[in-house]
Amino acid sequence: MDFASLIDGALVESVVRALIPILLAALGGLICERAGIFNIALEGLLLIGAFGAVAGSYFSGSAFVGVVVAIASSMAFSLILSFGSITRRAEPIVLGVAMNILAVGITSFLLVALFDTQGVFNDPGIVGMQKIAIPGLVQIPWIGPALFNLTLLGYLALLLVPLIHIVLFHSPVGLRLRGVGERPIAAQTLGVSPAKYQYLALLASGLLTGLAGAQLALGNVVQFAENMSAGRGWIAVVAVMLARANPVATLGAALLFGFAEAIGYRFQAYGLPAQITEAAPYVVTLIALLFAAKYFRRGTVTAEVT
Amino acid sequence: MTLEVDMRGITKRFPGVVADDNVDFSVNTGEIHALMGENGAGKSILMSILAGLHQADEGEIYLRGEKVAINSPLDAIESGIGMVFQAFKLFPSFTIAENVVFREEPTHGPLLDRAAANRAVAEISERYQLAVDPKARVDSVPVGVLQRVEIIKALYRDARVLILDEPTAVLTPQETEGLFNILRALRDDGRTIIFITHKMKEVMAISDRVTVLRDGKVTARLITAESSAEEITHHMTGRDVDLTMAPPQQAPGETVLSVKNLTVTDQGERPVVDDVNLEIHSGEIVGIAGVAGNGQVELAEAIMGLRAIDNGRVAVQNQDVTQASVRHRRDAGLTYIPEDRHGVGTAPLADGAANLAMGHHRRAPLLRSGLLKRSRMVWHARRLIERFRIKIASPATPVGTLSGGNLQKIVVARELDYDSSVLIAEQPTRGVDVGAIEAIHRELTTYRDRGGAVLLISAELSEIQSLSGRILVMFEGRIVADLDARDVTEKQLGYLMAGGEQAVAAS
Amino acid sequence: MVIAFVIGAVFIMIAGSDPISGYQSMLRGSFGSGLGIANTIQRAIPLVGMALAIAVAFRAGVINLGAEGQMILGGLVGVLVVLYVPGPPLLVMALACVAGTAAGALWALIPALFQSWPGVPVLIASLLLNYPARYFSSWMVRFPLKDPESSMVATDSFPAGTQIPLFASPSSGLGQTLLNNLGKDNVLTIVGRTVNWSFAVVALLVVAVMFMNARTRFGFESGMHGFNANFARYSGVHSGRLTAQTMLLSGGIAGLMGVMFAIGAPNNRLMDGQILETNYAWTGLLVALLALYRPSGVLIGGIFFAGIIAGSGAMGRDLSMSPQIAAVIQGIVIILIAFRVQIPVRRRRTSSEVVEARMEHDQAEEEVGRV
Repeated sequence: MDFASLIDGALVESVVRALIPILLAALGGLICERAGIFNIALEGLLLIGAFGAVAGSYFSGSAFVGVVVAIASSMAFSLILSFGSITRRAEPIVLGVAMNILAVGITSFLLVALFDTQGVFNDPGIVGMQKIAIPGLVQIPWIGPALFNLTLLGYLALLLVPLIHIVLFHSPVGLRLRGVGERPIAAQTLGVSPAKYQYLALLASGLLTGLAGAQLALGNVVQFAENMSAGRGWIAVVAVMLARANPVATLGAALLFGFAEAIGYRFQAYGLPAQITEAAPYVVTLIALLFAAKYFRRGTVTAEVT
Repeated sequence: MTLEVDMRGITKRFPGVVADDNVDFSVNTGEIHALMGENGAGKSILMSILAGLHQADEGEIYLRGEKVAINSPLDAIESGIGMVFQAFKLFPSFTIAENVVFREEPTHGPLLDRAAANRAVAEISERYQLAVDPKARVDSVPVGVLQRVEIIKALYRDARVLILDEPTAVLTPQETEGLFNILRALRDDGRTIIFITHKMKEVMAISDRVTVLRDGKVTARLITAESSAEEITHHMTGRDVDLTMAPPQQAPGETVLSVKNLTVTDQGERPVVDDVNLEIHSGEIVGIAGVAGNGQVELAEAIMGLRAIDNGRVAVQNQDVTQASVRHRRDAGLTYIPEDRHGVGTAPLADGAANLAMGHHRRAPLLRSGLLKRSRMVWHARRLIERFRIKIASPATPVGTLSGGNLQKIVVARELDYDSSVLIAEQPTRGVDVGAIEAIHRELTTYRDRGGAVLLISAELSEIQSLSGRILVMFEGRIVADLDARDVTEKQLGYLMAGGEQAVAAS
Repeated sequence: MVIAFVIGAVFIMIAGSDPISGYQSMLRGSFGSGLGIANTIQRAIPLVGMALAIAVAFRAGVINLGAEGQMILGGLVGVLVVLYVPGPPLLVMALACVAGTAAGALWALIPALFQSWPGVPVLIASLLLNYPARYFSSWMVRFPLKDPESSMVATDSFPAGTQIPLFASPSSGLGQTLLNNLGKDNVLTIVGRTVNWSFAVVALLVVAVMFMNARTRFGFESGMHGFNANFARYSGVHSGRLTAQTMLLSGGIAGLMGVMFAIGAPNNRLMDGQILETNYAWTGLLVALLALYRPSGVLIGGIFFAGIIAGSGAMGRDLSMSPQIAAVIQGIVIILIAFRVQIPVRRRRTSSEVVEARMEHDQAEEEVGRV
């Protein structure tokens, strides 16, 4: 097999395609992490968003409405986690796991109830998002088609990386959000309500996972399939950990997984079974974690003497 | 004279505890007012009510004659109240300036104006000679500086009333003197200071007036100059407490704990314990004095095997345990009362029987033919509860519901019941009531007189001085002095704790 | 609980059916009829087992989110043994169980080792390892093991006698006796011909874990480790070793459940996605959490959730609705319970609010001067 031939413009394009939903979801998770909430429900939020996008688009005939419905459904769904973990002080991991199960249940159920379909809902009535090519730039070889021929959400996702960086590290709101996540009690004594900022962070993650779902179901493909998030939410969770909740590093992590996914597809063309290549992003993630593991030790004094 | 703060009939209850019981507390404008009381007397709670952190169940608060409702820390800040807590409320990864301006940030358009923040902090720092660097990250500066950051935080918000909760606990005697000078300057500036403490000497040194709390009730309001240490102590404890300790009955025996060239680094970088050598003999208490954060905790953890070491040897009764696991070190005769009772010394959500059985469950009588039995654990727990007079409803009560003193007695009881040869006691009486302090001190001296060796790590110099036969001073991870407790003064210890070697020569 | 069923009713109405007849058919399909009870027990067996696997880990504070992968690999290895190892059927069956248990245990050991070195949390590594297990097993069934003569994506059928037998299959002597004495609609007859011997294994496991928790050193230490790992370490428990042992145990149980599910009658071949679709691992996780990691609670909770699964499956069939209504109702039930009782990971419910209040009080009173 000729490895050099694996890397070409089309590969770069599919890397970007694969990374955008992961990036959007990971940015949502990142904001929660900074606010001190471990959001393990990204997978479910993403799935709900994808379903909302398809349903909204199908019933209205407009991709824009689809995106709005996606955002609204994911934000509403995220309220379960906010209410549970902030107001009721329940364990966010438990809630997250339950929400992920519930999301699969609700979407598959509604798929039957609303569209009378099982498995995959694929209908010309679903209006997908158009790709918008930026004239001139799109001509650049390799990068052009990959970076300058995206859906609006694609551009938005990439712009959000510097934007969130600036908000987090150079604005009062970001300072307070990080403060709340780092030491809620200190924020509280200065009159900043941790609960308020955590609610906002979770709503923001609902918004972003909604966008991620829309990109997945109206951008990457135009359809809804049962459990179509297929672990991307989990990858996003890991990306946040790997990047230590830094926006730019999160882009890097998402890029890594996007690459793993894209190269996996590419290997399929060479006859490697899909089941093996689909596992690639997870294995790559794990290997990346093994190398980055020393960061998890910060602050812990757990080195043991045998 | 106007009343700056007037709290009337304040009552605050927690599940199972009345922290403050109908307390009246008032402070004049422009005075330094000491709020005295033993641990658990309710003084910190009373002040956190004033600072808006807790809400009183009953009672009213007046500021400069006006009734105010303080329902949140923000209300308190807006009423001109600033509090410096014992556990500093700072963001470790932020710079000092970011910590100070948090929520009152100067902005430049929609963005933070870090330069303006730095300037504002530098100005306050200069005016009161606080000597802090606005751009330094909080987790990189010493504890003494953090306290001044907290003071700047309050001044930046233009606090008229500044509350300091046990501010000297983390300072050397010399740093304490520096703090007092700052407080006097603030008072002369027209601000009002409330100074929470349980140390007699400080009250006499700095306060204009004093209010004494005991068990959540006010027992005295006095003008300091017209009162005496004896009188205040009496109001504080309600009886005469004897914290002076019986001297050891016999001379120290053979070496039971020996530590050689022990070095521990912080994640392989900075040494936090630096080439420490020490020997402790049976029948003696050796105190380690030092400002918090100079490697005492790391030293204790390294001896116990809870922390990886970079170099050195540890031996217990001539048995080298350098490579041994925690369990084997315990078998060899090490026991340990850790500083963090909730996080390390107990499992707060587990019950008394389990907490007291832990460790003992590996051997008879709890373990019989390889099996445990709940009834035996309960029996074991009852025995210890009785012997150490622990106030706990039953062995099935989760220990997290106990008061600090009783929780500490759980730890002490469990560790002493090993009948081991070495006990490392880290802040054994921090945050416990005076009755428990007496009991714990008595247990430690009894243990010593039975031939045990104690390594006592404490931030309370008085505790170190009254219990120890020898005193080691730790500074920046090194043992900088090894002194006979009988001929060392608090002042000398203070110099050594601050890193001054010249004091040794003088003594 | 009531709210859950009200919300469930809303979903049933969304699907265009009548909630009352929906719940009637749900009850009939779970506990209200012989077949319902048989179905419930059949589903309760792997569910209780998986919940137990997760409970032993969580009780020790080891967050094993990889039970799914451990179960799948266990099942796959068991099937391999049954298909390819020659020998007396009963012995092959036993060997399959052992091999599957070992596969699950070893797969679970990986995250424990990664936590010890270089320090990837068990929670994340165990979760990620689900996916390779899932895809690998799917590939095995689709390609190397696929029965070319079958239209199903499934392995060859197992050799005769290597399945875990039913209690009383219709053809056996006991089955005949039951049929003749009690009639074909009797609960025992139906249960006997539906439920296989893994029932006994799981029952035994529940008792064994109860004994382990209450009477053994390992059980005591793992409980304390779950309450406060630092405390356990301070008391001389080797945290890394305990985590590894716990993962071996947890993964082993999950692997065993995988084998018993895969080769337990009436299943006679492994189909692609068969273990995954049941979602026993994640439902088991919820059962374990709700049971506060107690084996007795796992048993009750497992049967309850099995009832919901069986019942909502029946409802789906009767009213021709999506069987996913089961997941909807389960999800809602768990979220509502989580709201109410602050289900603790690494903690237990025992007056935790009082403890928190006390700690808050102490923190305010205590003198600690650290950042």
